[in-house]
Amino acid sequence: MNNAPPLFRAFDFPRRAIGLTIAASITALMLGIFLAVSRVDIPVSSNSLQPDITHLVRMSLIQAALTTFLSLSVGIALAWALNRLRFFGRPLVVSLFATAIVAPAIVVALGMIAVWGRAGWINQLLAIFSLGWNGSIFGLHGILFAHTILNGAFAAHILLARLQTIPAQKLKTGQSLALSPLRRFLVLDWPVISGALPSLGAIIFLLAFTSFPIVLILGGGPANQTLEVAIYSYVRLSFDLRAALSLALVQLVFCLIIVLPALLATPSLASSGTTRQFHWPDTKGATIAQWAILTLALAGFGLPLLAVLVNGIGPGLFPVLTQNRFWQATITSLSIGAISAFVTLVLALGLTTSRNSFSSPLMRAALALPAFAYLVIPALVLSLGFFLSVRALQIAPSNAAPLVLVLANALLALPFAISVLAPALDAINKRYAKTARSLGLSGFARWRMLEWPLMGREVGIVLAFGFCFSLGDLGVIALFGTSEFSTLPWLMFRALGAYRTNDAAAIASVLLLLTLIVFWALPPLMEKLSHAKS
Amino acid sequence: MLTRFVLTLVMALAPAAAPAQESPALTIYTYDAFAADWGPGPALKAGFEETCACTLRFVAADSSIGALRRVQLEGNSTKADIVLGLDTSIVGEALATGLFANHSVDTGALIVPKNWSSPSFVPFDYGYFAMVYNTELMPEPPTSFEKLAANPDIKIVIQDPRSSTPGMGLMLWIKAAYGNDAEEAWPEIAPRVLTLTRSWSEAYALFLAGEADMVLSYTTSPAYHLIVENDPRFAAAPFREGHYTQIEVAGILASSPNQQLANDFLAYLISPEAQGIIPATNWMYPVADIELPEGFDTLFVPQKTLLLDDMTVTENAAGWIGEMLNSFE
Repeated sequence: MNNAPPLFRAFDFPRRAIGLTIAASITALMLGIFLAVSRVDIPVSSNSLQPDITHLVRMSLIQAALTTFLSLSVGIALAWALNRLRFFGRPLVVSLFATAIVAPAIVVALGMIAVWGRAGWINQLLAIFSLGWNGSIFGLHGILFAHTILNGAFAAHILLARLQTIPAQKLKTGQSLALSPLRRFLVLDWPVISGALPSLGAIIFLLAFTSFPIVLILGGGPANQTLEVAIYSYVRLSFDLRAALSLALVQLVFCLIIVLPALLATPSLASSGTTRQFHWPDTKGATIAQWAILTLALAGFGLPLLAVLVNGIGPGLFPVLTQNRFWQATITSLSIGAISAFVTLVLALGLTTSRNSFSSPLMRAALALPAFAYLVIPALVLSLGFFLSVRALQIAPSNAAPLVLVLANALLALPFAISVLAPALDAINKRYAKTARSLGLSGFARWRMLEWPLMGREVGIVLAFGFCFSLGDLGVIALFGTSEFSTLPWLMFRALGAYRTNDAAAIASVLLLLTLIVFWALPPLMEKLSHAKS
Repeated sequence: MLTRFVLTLVMALAPAAAPAQESPALTIYTYDAFAADWGPGPALKAGFEETCACTLRFVAADSSIGALRRVQLEGNSTKADIVLGLDTSIVGEALATGLFANHSVDTGALIVPKNWSSPSFVPFDYGYFAMVYNTELMPEPPTSFEKLAANPDIKIVIQDPRSSTPGMGLMLWIKAAYGNDAEEAWPEIAPRVLTLTRSWSEAYALFLAGEADMVLSYTTSPAYHLIVENDPRFAAAPFREGHYTQIEVAGILASSPNQQLANDFLAYLISPEAQGIIPATNWMYPVADIELPEGFDTLFVPQKTLLLDDMTVTENAAGWIGEMLNSFE
């Protein structure tokens, strides 16, 4: 677009203005949150803990780098396999992998333990053949294993969506040229995949760097803890908010510096088209490898989720379904999820379409950076900041709870949404920029006539992310609770805190089912809708 | 622009949720399990509202420390009249905030371990920390921390003292039992620890899933399984060192305009009627001399109990926690 005439740039003024306004607003909101927390004047108890910051940063770095590398490798392999294979229940398997990132971490961690733990399925199976495994999934390898499975599944979902945008005629040409599986991957797949890798890698790095419940459950002790945990203990134990805030800032700056190059990277040339599938299976050898990858991934990630479902859907489910509080929490969760999904989509579209109309890498990064920053702000600090801001506005926290839940989770889902929308928009831009220019399409008309018909699936994925993030939220809402306002994860956590493990397992399975359904139904639904209008 | 949008939306929401109130309202901040439907909250609310001509509101934080932090954040403008559920390991810190008023409830007749009492806080239940295990899977549990440390076949799951009150309780337990030798005791216990969880819930879930042989919980935990699930397999292991005590307390905030009503509630809280609700909903021992529910008689009751002085705990907790965590690195 560097050669675009100034007139064309002026066409996209509304888009640029909207995107910059959103970016500025969420930056201002973040500053407000930090400011609100920094202004709290509470005497600190004399003996604050002194966490070893260098140790924490080093551990977080090593763990996050390893996680990112492993997750991207697993994600590419899995997306490759899923793209080639056709089998009964494939859409369900694909949505199963999508739930990885949005299911409450504690649910997934417990599911993982139910399969891979000492008393887990695998070990029980091995015991039948007297092959009992005495190893432990607790420790750094446990964290890496869990992170890789979760983020690898998430990466696979995003990359698969990218692979499905390869136009049928390209595939047909490739088939007639009899490309080998390797050549096919390098020539056809890699160009569309690589565009999504930087932002995907950035997200995974940030998620791993700030991971909390999984690190605490599977880490096996403080040796493997992250900076996030130190922040938590500052707030919790010594209530030293200033110290917590400065640590949060260290984390923020550190992560953003690492992530910035990824956001500056311009995606490689990628084509876009509708996802009307042309299926071209690989040769036998490659197909066997693909089945092996899929089987391993299902064992690693599918089984733990299956374990959550199996443990929850049993005789324990019925009593839960008869509880009034369960239905109230379900309705609350569903409505908040729906609003959250919509807000996420609007914000993400505003940012990405605007980002798309800029050619300078710096401007493009500036539009995405604030959204990514929210991934790095500890949930506890975010929660505190919202709480204090709401109070400063003279509003009772319990009244603001639904709104905060929507807003905070939309912000948390935003980087995911961007990583879904941005490569697709870039691809459309590469392909149709000239046509759009000649037709004078800009602003909303460009969206309605050009982008929306081509991006239905991506829009569906973004809505699903927005919905599920707030559906699974346990962190942000912590300070706002009242006994009247309750969501499903909260109900689950309460049940878990009152010995009611069966209730908790039942609610966890319902949560997971909802997430599955949303990821299974929304992307194709939105794709149909977008085609219907085109 | 976004902030303004939020503001407008919030303003639109705010009046709808504030109904006109004629009778006085008493607001209690507590932890979530206490206020939950199956916790003592609803029954206590019903019982107190029968006589007080008032409305009782429980506001649930994620934990008792969370409830205290919220009050600290809100300062004198807090809507809370009472904070309920603080325990003896954090009472010293709560007192130091200067936010709590003295109560006028007569606690002289209560049965509280070590005759604990405070001008600002009313104790309403108590329990003892213990390692809980499954008697079918482990017929011969260790009888002390030393035995536990010496047995490489045992895995225990405990909570992080920085985020969980039971986790803090274990740290104080070792300190109370071993004094200055605690620093040497932890490196011997640490290899038996499978993991430190953020909260009691996660640790207990790991234990129930069979990942660990023992979990740090309460001597009263087996009563839940016995009474609610009719499952007699669980027990608390008696330890030679004695068992550390947790006393749960409630305090009135100095900023509350409803001092009399708040005192009335605390008096009700320790009355035989309210105390009868506690054991089978909060799974702790009552402080009033009442008959315990059937099933509690099967529980192990420690003869030797430990409790450190509130102020000593407040002054040294951070250092002691550091000492403990060092053994895990």
